[in-house]
Amino acid sequence: MHATVSTAVPSAERASEAARNAKDSRDDRLFGWVLKGCALLVLLALVGAAGSTLWLGMDAFHTFGFGFLTSAAWDPSNDQYGALVPIMGTVGTAFIALLFAVPVSFGIALFLTEIAPQWLRGPVSSAIELLAGIPSIIYGMWGLFIFAPFVAEHVKPWLMNNFSADPPDGQVSWIVQHVPWIAKFFASEYPFFGAGVFTAGLVLAVMIIPFISSVMREVFQTVPTRLKESAYALGSSTWEVVWDIVVPYTRTAVIGGIFLGLGRALGETMAVAFVLGNTFKFSWSLLETGSSIASTIANQFGEAQGLQRSALMALAFLLFVVTFIVLLIARLMLRRLATKEGK
Amino acid sequence: MTNMNEVASQPGFGTSPHAATADLDQAAPKMVARDVNFHYNDFHALKHISMDVPEKKVTAIIGPSGCGKSTLLRIFNRIYAIYPGLRASGEIILDGENILDPKYSLNRLRSKVGMVFQKPVPFPMTIFENVAYGIRHHEKLSRSEMESRVEQALRGAALWDEVKDKLKNSALGLSGGQQQRLCIARGIALKPEVLLLDEPTSALDPIATSRIEQLVEELKKDFTIVIVTHNMQQAARVSDMTAFMYMGELIEFDRTEKIFTKPDKKQTEDYITGRFG
Repeated sequence: MHATVSTAVPSAERASEAARNAKDSRDDRLFGWVLKGCALLVLLALVGAAGSTLWLGMDAFHTFGFGFLTSAAWDPSNDQYGALVPIMGTVGTAFIALLFAVPVSFGIALFLTEIAPQWLRGPVSSAIELLAGIPSIIYGMWGLFIFAPFVAEHVKPWLMNNFSADPPDGQVSWIVQHVPWIAKFFASEYPFFGAGVFTAGLVLAVMIIPFISSVMREVFQTVPTRLKESAYALGSSTWEVVWDIVVPYTRTAVIGGIFLGLGRALGETMAVAFVLGNTFKFSWSLLETGSSIASTIANQFGEAQGLQRSALMALAFLLFVVTFIVLLIARLMLRRLATKEGK
Repeated sequence: MTNMNEVASQPGFGTSPHAATADLDQAAPKMVARDVNFHYNDFHALKHISMDVPEKKVTAIIGPSGCGKSTLLRIFNRIYAIYPGLRASGEIILDGENILDPKYSLNRLRSKVGMVFQKPVPFPMTIFENVAYGIRHHEKLSRSEMESRVEQALRGAALWDEVKDKLKNSALGLSGGQQQRLCIARGIALKPEVLLLDEPTSALDPIATSRIEQLVEELKKDFTIVIVTHNMQQAARVSDMTAFMYMGELIEFDRTEKIFTKPDKKQTEDYITGRFG
């Protein structure tokens, strides 16, 4: 009974059809494997890099135990290593960078999408993209030779006059007398020296502004015009439209852009190596010199042997961990925002 | 163009014995446009528009795409002002004041003239917040006052019964028709005097469309309504007055019944009968 249906078709035609079918599904399967391979490659590279730094850093972790994280000692001549200063330097500079870069990027992106006249948008956007293309070593050099002296001459004295317990003008400010702890963050052993955590943070801010602002600009452009017009039609001012409509609508992507910038700030090496000072004395002060994980590795890897080499590997692994924690926090923040909105 | 001004300013224009004629003739003009011109950079988009929008009536603006009907509507609340390069001249008098005067506060204008757009655009907030949002820009209300204002607006937009149990849900979960009624609620929550509807049903299915049309019928008891529509049947169904625009000019403005039965102008007749547009 079943066979009668197909008898009309010549069997040769049937056979070629079946062959074609088999070939198609084989090709599709192959294509699928290739794509899967591409995706797995990323995962493999990540696990490989993290795993090998952990493996090679084992020596240091074994020798110093948990103390590796809490010790501020970094003394190659006595083979004593602790990661506290580089971790603090990394997190501190990145935090300062975000503190300055986020509001400025926000302003740039809003100006370009909401306020700037059409003819100005193109040139300013290109300028920002050019800024992103400058190699970090140039930022480092600029930071060391031009920006750090500027900070030492103009910014640091002002900060110290207002916030430190040992101001150059000799008058301890009202803020220092009334806000506990604040002087700790603005002490400086060498007031005329421009390099330090604060300066490095500012240079990093300049470096990540292009990334954050171009992401923000892109996502602000995705807000439907009719959504903004509706808000204007209800009597909102530009500021209210931005704050009540544009920002909530793009929040997830904006936070994504900020963390992209933060990721770059955490891992930035050369610029920070130039302006951070590369010292290993622990201090709470933002005006003191310090070290970051990446700059320490870059400065010391050439001549590192044995335990020092292992300690540097361990530092590299910690950078993975720090970045991972930052991304995790970002995820949790987004999830909390989403539940708050009742989604 | 001068003839249009004549038509609009003649007392008792139109002769057909229509039940609403007397009523329509007595309706005071709420908004009066006088020689309004609109430029988009160098493009002269609206040419010498003059029309009287009668109070608590529905005025429809029809015409082919690109004729300037939406542009005209967007001048009535100066929403065009958010973009650079757009200029309107002439006068639009609302309650004795020229709203095109730069000194006229935009905030006040938008509380008096509400607008509903082509596609439903709920804000990414809860249903309650969508309605409360606009009110907050103009008035400071206590929690209970705000709740009753929101309820009143949602009832006015014939949406209350459908959403009263989910005011705290995101407005994005509503259907298209519900979203559009939410936008109307948002507009009338400010207690405006004029409500501008810019093709409010063009993105909706026929059932949702007919609900909006019924709603317009209800709303004209309290508001002066100007509706732009590309759907001539809709204009015929809901409006008392109809303006026909073509290439930036107001060709004819008269009682809806007259426009659709015996228009004065050949162009109007051609458009109504579907010969172009």
